[in-house]
Amino acid sequence: MTWQPELEELRIREEFARRMGGEDKVKRQHDAGRLTVRERVEKLADPGSFHEVGAIAGKASYDAQGRLVELTPSNCVWGRATVDGRRVVLVGDDFTVRGGSADATIREKPLMAERMANEFRMPIIRIIEGSGGGGSVKTIETTGRANLPGGVGGTGLFNYTTLNLSAVPVVGLGLGSVAGLGAARLAASHYSVMTKKSAMFVAGPPVVSRLGAPVTKEELGGWETQCKAGGVDHAVETEEEAFDCARRFLSYMPSSVHDVSPVIPCEDDPERRDEKLMNAVPRDRRRVYQMRPIIESVVDRGSFFEMGKLFGRSLITGLARLDGRAVALMASDPFFYGGSWTSDTCQKAVRFIDLAETFHLPVVYLMDCPGFMVGLEAERSATIRHGVRAMAAMNQATVPWCTIIVRNAFGVAGAAHQPAGRLSLRYAWLSARWGSLPLEGGIEAAYRAEIDAAEDKAAKLAEIEERLNQLRSPFRTAETFWVEEIIDPRATRPLLCDFARMADPLRQPVPSRLQMRP
Amino acid sequence: MAEITVVAELTAAVWKIEAAPGTRVAEGDTLVILESMKMEIPVMAPADGMVLAVLVAEGDQIEEGQAVATLVA
Repeated sequence: MTWQPELEELRIREEFARRMGGEDKVKRQHDAGRLTVRERVEKLADPGSFHEVGAIAGKASYDAQGRLVELTPSNCVWGRATVDGRRVVLVGDDFTVRGGSADATIREKPLMAERMANEFRMPIIRIIEGSGGGGSVKTIETTGRANLPGGVGGTGLFNYTTLNLSAVPVVGLGLGSVAGLGAARLAASHYSVMTKKSAMFVAGPPVVSRLGAPVTKEELGGWETQCKAGGVDHAVETEEEAFDCARRFLSYMPSSVHDVSPVIPCEDDPERRDEKLMNAVPRDRRRVYQMRPIIESVVDRGSFFEMGKLFGRSLITGLARLDGRAVALMASDPFFYGGSWTSDTCQKAVRFIDLAETFHLPVVYLMDCPGFMVGLEAERSATIRHGVRAMAAMNQATVPWCTIIVRNAFGVAGAAHQPAGRLSLRYAWLSARWGSLPLEGGIEAAYRAEIDAAEDKAAKLAEIEERLNQLRSPFRTAETFWVEEIIDPRATRPLLCDFARMADPLRQPVPSRLQMRP
Repeated sequence: MAEITVVAELTAAVWKIEAAPGTRVAEGDTLVILESMKMEIPVMAPADGMVLAVLVAEGDQIEEGQAVATLVA
């Protein structure tokens, strides 16, 4: 007598789980150009590494003799796996079962996934499709009561969604229509990716159209809306590309805040000096230039991984490597408002600096900032408050910091380039210029009486400008040690690599006092 | 032959029109120069083609996302 009958029943139940919502629903998923949750897990995890938890949880029906007839699995599939050799938690919504809605979720499943990531210190990748929240309004009938969100003892998932941001790398993948709690779980991540066919919103078109003008799914929550608004970090064509993004992001990260990110062998010469950097910045100060090629030329070849490209675009943010060490890199993009920080830019900086602080990544900032954005729209979006918030994030950060002043550093935002209370490294390029105010407009304000008294006001203005321009050469600033080093731009990579090595003893696997927010 | 609408990626003033309708342009050529924060910011052709229409005038204040020109590529 063995336990063979029970083993057979276990296998039957597991087989039901593998069928997900049934053939028709799986076909519908494929016809819409989307993978099923099990295919997604398989493509994301290293081959054969997925160890599922709770596969056979679901709703079963039995015949009169109490024998199992059918089992509809819960629409949450989760377990642990390795991704590029590193142990992670994978948790995914099964859209083929009740459209991924919480009607068919067993609340404790996604909760345990979050707990495992937290308590066993493993990154978590959330594969999100559907609403996954309080369920559709149908649940009023099935439970016989309305759902007070969170209710009594129902806040566990929200608790871990917050806790994990300060504990382990959290990646959100939006693959399909994502709404409600699903949208919250996607947005509450360190890095989120959606496919261009997907949409994310608080509530979808049926709800929104009831309140006013009808909108399409794409207008409301498509990738252009969400990536420009900063709701989602990145959009890709295919689900496979989304999985690649998740892998790549994790490659720069430690497994948790109790660890530091791995140093990999560097095949690019740390002493490499790129001749092109000598003419990267135009001498004509009104002309802009491309910052991304400068980034590519100073970091380890091919190592720059941009995040949040379409949001707060005057600041480029991403992960990169210097002599094999992962760093958080920020750089201005003069093509957007000359590199001025808008309210969005400031919010982007806060989140990015907090990410660096949380995961002990040294920060490199290639700066060209003529100031905070000015004008009515800038005031209406509280640029200065978001600006000082970004400064506060810099000042509260404890990770090693290095700034290269590529061109402009003006105004209060000009000061926002290094942590205020501790020593960081700073180098100014030959093209660097700074001031409290840009001369243009600033002269009229400061020399009003002198200009008004002149017969030829324009000539007077030009004369004063010429006078001041001679004095504001960065060499005069260096003469008085108001800036510590002016460098040949070609020396940037060797100096940044040296900074990354200098940062080694400062990168400690000790959780930051900072508690990160989404 | 596809018609491409080129949009401004930022709110700015139109400073100079660089390519009149009928001009042949290569990808990356400047169509219009905007001015923002005292900087000249080019709006570039996203592909090789011919300028069909310029939809803004020098001195115009334009919004992010506004169409600046159309090309046939």
